[in-house]
Amino acid sequence: MKKITFALLATLSLTSTASFADYPNKDIQGVIMWGAGGSTDNVMRSIAPHVEKELGTDLILTNKSGGVGAISMKYVDKKKADGYTLLMGAENPQMHRVLGLSNIDYSDMIPISLLARGTPMIMARSDAPYDTMQEFIDYAKANPNKVKLGSTGKGGLTSIVLAMLASQVELDYISIPYKGDGPALTALQGGAIDVMPAVLGAAIEHIKAGRMKALSMVDVERNPLLPNVAPITDTLPGMKAYLPWGPFFGVFVKKDTPDDAVKTLQAAFKKAAVNPDFVSLMEKSGYTIMNTSGAEASSFLETYRSTSSWLVYDAGFSKFSPEKFSISKP
Amino acid sequence: MDSLSFFAMSWLSPELLGLTALGTFLGIYVGAIPGLSVTMAVSILISFTFSWDVNNALCLMIGVYMGGVYGGSRTAILLNIPGAPSAIATALDGFPLARKGLAGEAIGLSTVMSVIGGFVGIIVLALAAPSISEFAITFQPRDYMMLGILGILLVGSLSGNSLAKGIFAGALGLLIGTVGLDPMTVEERFTFGVIELWDGINPIAVMIGMFGISEALHQLHHMDKAVIKQKISRIIPKWVDIKKYLPLSLQTSFIGVIIGALPGTGGDIAALMAYDHAKRVTKNPDVPFGEGAKEGLIAPESANNAAVGGAYIPMLTLGIPGDAVTAVFIGALFIHGLNPGPLLMIEQPHMFWFTVGNLALANIFVLIFGLTGIRMFSKIVECPKGILIPLIFLLSIVGAYAINNAITDIWWMLAFGVFGYFMRLYGFPVGPVILGVILSSLTDENWRRAILTERGSVTDLFIHLFSSPLSTVLFMSIALILFTQTPVWSKWMKPKLARRFSN
Repeated sequence: MKKITFALLATLSLTSTASFADYPNKDIQGVIMWGAGGSTDNVMRSIAPHVEKELGTDLILTNKSGGVGAISMKYVDKKKADGYTLLMGAENPQMHRVLGLSNIDYSDMIPISLLARGTPMIMARSDAPYDTMQEFIDYAKANPNKVKLGSTGKGGLTSIVLAMLASQVELDYISIPYKGDGPALTALQGGAIDVMPAVLGAAIEHIKAGRMKALSMVDVERNPLLPNVAPITDTLPGMKAYLPWGPFFGVFVKKDTPDDAVKTLQAAFKKAAVNPDFVSLMEKSGYTIMNTSGAEASSFLETYRSTSSWLVYDAGFSKFSPEKFSISKP
Repeated sequence: MDSLSFFAMSWLSPELLGLTALGTFLGIYVGAIPGLSVTMAVSILISFTFSWDVNNALCLMIGVYMGGVYGGSRTAILLNIPGAPSAIATALDGFPLARKGLAGEAIGLSTVMSVIGGFVGIIVLALAAPSISEFAITFQPRDYMMLGILGILLVGSLSGNSLAKGIFAGALGLLIGTVGLDPMTVEERFTFGVIELWDGINPIAVMIGMFGISEALHQLHHMDKAVIKQKISRIIPKWVDIKKYLPLSLQTSFIGVIIGALPGTGGDIAALMAYDHAKRVTKNPDVPFGEGAKEGLIAPESANNAAVGGAYIPMLTLGIPGDAVTAVFIGALFIHGLNPGPLLMIEQPHMFWFTVGNLALANIFVLIFGLTGIRMFSKIVECPKGILIPLIFLLSIVGAYAINNAITDIWWMLAFGVFGYFMRLYGFPVGPVILGVILSSLTDENWRRAILTERGSVTDLFIHLFSSPLSTVLFMSIALILFTQTPVWSKWMKPKLARRFSN
């Protein structure tokens, strides 16, 4: 028994000293920011097997949801910067500073890959008395404080889309918060809410089945998946200032991770993201593949942070001014 | 004809048959370990089965689901640690049975009743899925709020001797449930700036502590007492017993299907409501509830397995998950390139019958694996206390860690274990605490949504309680339950009604 323990200890110490020699030489842990079955989880679990093939090592995925993503950020930030712990997250941390939720965001990490981004849409229940964005705006103006709008809490996708909308047109509505777009879209079908901004991927199957209708695409152009839905800039040209904007999925490592590990990971994700299985999966569900890293990714992240932070600040529900964290105005 | 061939697909292919059996077997043991949840097991299997054929992957996962929901009752009966929140009610009467040396009989009975419940769920899924899912999504925030209140009223059933102590425990649970980021506004509540508290206190950690650790601490008082010899002569329940309890099992199965089909509630609430139902309809139990009444074991076990079929109803017809596990199944279908959603039934009709058939098959395996190995399991309770108590501690700590891979949960679990021990010592029931934690967010969120919908007007809310038959029925049941507890009812109405019925 003692001998075995010694042997184990010896191999352990060997592997730990040799860990920088050639990356990767052990399993990599992937920390998923959101819970099982969510969109972040689905995207990460569908790319992971392709990455494993590229790296020749196992990618152990665990879900660490909570604190609007802050728990997983903090967890990865506490780990060693050795490239063996990946953060697999969504857009949320970019708002954490101004919302006063956390003082770490993606500018404190190295982007390995921004995989894909989603397109927000404005959805309405199928029997609502309006079919387009203009009709909706007219209806909401004619019936102030009548339309029930679903949201997903401060800093969520819906709140930012609504902040954009508020900057262009004044509407009085009742806002009813839900825990996520899943439960809110269910409520939309049951008639508990009338209108709800949601990401295309979450809503597309329900639109195709006619269980809800799309009023507008929150983008500057039409989407090939739903060519009949007009972009919101047709109705509100002022929205061009913020668009294209959308939630994204990305993989990150802690700052100061050795260069060779970062390069290896970036190359592996780059290759994995062009795998036809992954590409068709993303396209079918309405996500736009980005597959970027390095400077391009950093500049996208910065733009996202500045647009969203200033939007929520101007809409009046941020805790701090973006200036406090020297986030420049878009 | 086509549907029949898809139904039988997993029964006829040796590969699919084997995978379903393996899944069910694994599920029973995953479910039995508190903290190791079916949700987690299924999501791990998604990555593991990524490159497989979709049918093979589904067979394994469906088996784990069916087996896992059943498996939670094992440790609840043997060690008083529910394997999952849906087995809390099982522990209330299951564990006393084990203490009487009837663990074998209790497991046998719970297995048969789970399987009956499972089949009720599957049959309802097969025959009435579209209409039930349309019904389920019409539940408005105010209806969920009333379901939450109905659930909170179950405190009465879980209180034991003192209702006052039960209400105190329930209120404490509701308070614990409010800790963390407000799910609606992301405002911090009772977090004192500690990031680990943002997610609140995990109900499963509270459950493992309150049941498992406090039980282990409690048993330290009885170190000198001899262990109870388990009578394992009878495992398969007597036919007369099954016949006697069948009506109750069917009633509670229907509760399970409906509560399971609602997108906002799952097997845990279903099992507790079923327990309450059993207590109401059983006029003269052979053994009082809480001391090993078989009715109290049968009801939750039928309901939580029926909830599996129920949870599939909105998932297969509308692409809306009925619980956390079916949400992961939607993810699995997505990753395998099928488009889970309301069109699934139209584009992939075989998926529906394949799932129904596979659920039925997994349910049969639950019966087979559930009734074997009982002898060995019952021996656990016969272990000397010096082995058993550390074993409970180990299981509780591993379980608490497994919930979220977080050390914080272990500390919470231990703290609630010690707290639960003192609660027991002074005659406070622990069941209502968990009930409160589970129902806290359901009631809180939906009350606020309901009142927001009415623009803050309580009058409008009351008027709207009568705007739909569903809301009216729910409101009437709450009113009736409260009314039957008033002196007016017990002194005046009850004797009158009794006289009328006896004439």
